[in-house]
Amino acid sequence: MNPKKLTIDKIQEALRGEQYICDRSLATVVYLAITLGKPVLLEGEAGVGKTEIAKVLSQVLETRLIRLQCYEGLDANTALYEWNYPKQMLRIKLEEVSHGDREAVETEIFTEEYLVKRPLLEAIQSDGTTPPVLLIDEIDRADMEFEAFLLEVLSDFQITIPEIGTIRAKVRPYVFLTSNRTREIHDALKRRCLYHWIDYPTFEKEYEIIMTKFPQVRDHLAKQICAFMQQVRQMNFYKRPGVAETLDWASALVMLNHRELDEKTVEETMGCIFKYREDLHHLKEELAGKRLDLNQMLKSSPELPA
Amino acid sequence: MQISAEAIFKAVDRYSAVRGQGTLANLLAFGRVLKEAGLKVSLSQVIDASRSLEFVDIARRADFHAVLRSNLVSDKEEIALFDRVFDCFWREHGPEDLPMESVEMAPSWSEEKHGDSLDAGGSLEEVVAQAAGEEAKPSEETERVAVPTYSPCEALNKKDFSEMGIEESRAISRAILLIATKIATQVSRRKKRAAKGEEIDPRWTMRKSIKYGGEVIQLVSRKRRIKKTRVVLLCDVSGSMDCYSRFLIQFMYGLQNELWGVETFVFSTSLSRITHLIRTKDIGSALERISRSVVGWSGGTNIGRSLYTFNREFAPSLVTHRTVIVIISDGWDRGDVGLLEREMRGLKRRCHKIIWLNPLLASEHYEPLCKGMQAALPYLDLFLSVHNLNSLIALGRRLQKLVA
Repeated sequence: MNPKKLTIDKIQEALRGEQYICDRSLATVVYLAITLGKPVLLEGEAGVGKTEIAKVLSQVLETRLIRLQCYEGLDANTALYEWNYPKQMLRIKLEEVSHGDREAVETEIFTEEYLVKRPLLEAIQSDGTTPPVLLIDEIDRADMEFEAFLLEVLSDFQITIPEIGTIRAKVRPYVFLTSNRTREIHDALKRRCLYHWIDYPTFEKEYEIIMTKFPQVRDHLAKQICAFMQQVRQMNFYKRPGVAETLDWASALVMLNHRELDEKTVEETMGCIFKYREDLHHLKEELAGKRLDLNQMLKSSPELPA
Repeated sequence: MQISAEAIFKAVDRYSAVRGQGTLANLLAFGRVLKEAGLKVSLSQVIDASRSLEFVDIARRADFHAVLRSNLVSDKEEIALFDRVFDCFWREHGPEDLPMESVEMAPSWSEEKHGDSLDAGGSLEEVVAQAAGEEAKPSEETERVAVPTYSPCEALNKKDFSEMGIEESRAISRAILLIATKIATQVSRRKKRAAKGEEIDPRWTMRKSIKYGGEVIQLVSRKRRIKKTRVVLLCDVSGSMDCYSRFLIQFMYGLQNELWGVETFVFSTSLSRITHLIRTKDIGSALERISRSVVGWSGGTNIGRSLYTFNREFAPSLVTHRTVIVIISDGWDRGDVGLLEREMRGLKRRCHKIIWLNPLLASEHYEPLCKGMQAALPYLDLFLSVHNLNSLIALGRRLQKLVA
């Protein structure tokens, strides 16, 4: 799809076409990111589809997805570029044997051939007609220094390599940053980004998501799953399940040919939703104590428009 | 971020003169109002927002709102406040056809639900608290859902930890996580070999080059070691601390689960070690287990004797020169003050730092006059209050400086 001819509605439609259901407000943010070339900072609980939107968008725009997964200790070498030391060494070695021109070798080993490109440099150097989607995932896991460094790259979209010179982006990549809020992101970086908080989906939205991903699920089951998830997210679990868990669970239930949720089914498959022993235990107790009543749940969930 | 509804209206009113002179002027005024309401809004953000507006149909209120919000807000906690100010500033009409003179002060954003309290000029907080009360029933309007989320944080920052909901305890967990990571990531001056270090480790580089016949092919790097600080929590659970006990457990539980090598003890008239009891992800069952096994919960206090037991039985193996001792107590002691002082001195000699957290310290009129507290004071490195979320965040900051 041509990014120049997009509208908010078209984006929402196209994302839906790739099975990503999003609010209009998120579509608006994506639209702005594309038209303005501003990075987007997406925050939200785990498993609400922060990473997914970047992946899906790259499919919609038929462009490359370049992903940088952040972790503690991530540094410029891993994110940007690094000289291929072993290759340079070997080259020098060879030259020593053949008594070549020293100066020529010196300039040669600092050319692009000896450069190991990392995600950020790749994103800036790419020259397609459509800019790539650059996903900087879980920025909160990286160190503060890296954030500062990122700030520099994201504001100018250029990288200076002392031996080669400055490389400017021919086309600005569409940048998506995600954060799980394990720590606060610095204001300076936030200010450069469009901000969007992805919340847990509403009952209707979650229902739509399930029906889009698994059209074969029976209507009643899908509603039960959604009502269950909505309820469980209100309760005190160590890790609240996100949409990713909902989908895992739905697919498991489909595989097992379940047509309806009952307590036994929930107990058998709850490993899809909860990943901690304590949470599983807690859920069992709640089920036994009838605080989680499957029949009651569906009745109290909102009516869906036909 | 404390702002009353009245203040928002006043701010909106103040800038009414510049409005109606085009979108940018309106936006700038809007930015100012947001700033006065306590949001961090920079000029460049406002300019970007106005640029963004060129690309969308501003007659659609939802889009208009989404565009401004994504540009001007940069934190989840700010969203609720932004929405309030937005509704207040732009009212029902689009930005262009806003009738300047005929605007009444009656807040259109208070509508059905929150109407009465606003007319009374109640503070935003009250309104929000009211909204939070209504949170219980599932809200069908997605627009409104964001509003109550404002309340837990805002109210929690000030209110004592007595009754807490899920959202609130999550906020506490987050604060504790910050504290924990600050303590845990203290860097040492010593270095160790690391895959992604900041400098080259010559010794290991040479060592590695042996297999290539002395040719340096692979550079090995090194980085600073992360020093592991051990934290020992000593928590008062006597009767006088009852109203804080829920928070205390949450704190102990949170810190121990986030940090390596935390040992947790509770004391009233005697001392018990509960580290193993709260080594679980489920706070509910932890609570149960503690109440089953701890003797003297909500009883009297004998800090001196408890410390005596600690120093004799546990300190030799647990406390080193790198250990930070955290004592949480109000200092009301019914035991022997002389013993308390002796034991504090002994403990001080053995450990790195002693931090005393006193929930009473929050009240303005409190002075550490009771004998127990007086006796302990000279041996403390830090005497701080913990009674709410703000104090917890402050604690995080202080701890970082202290252990560094």
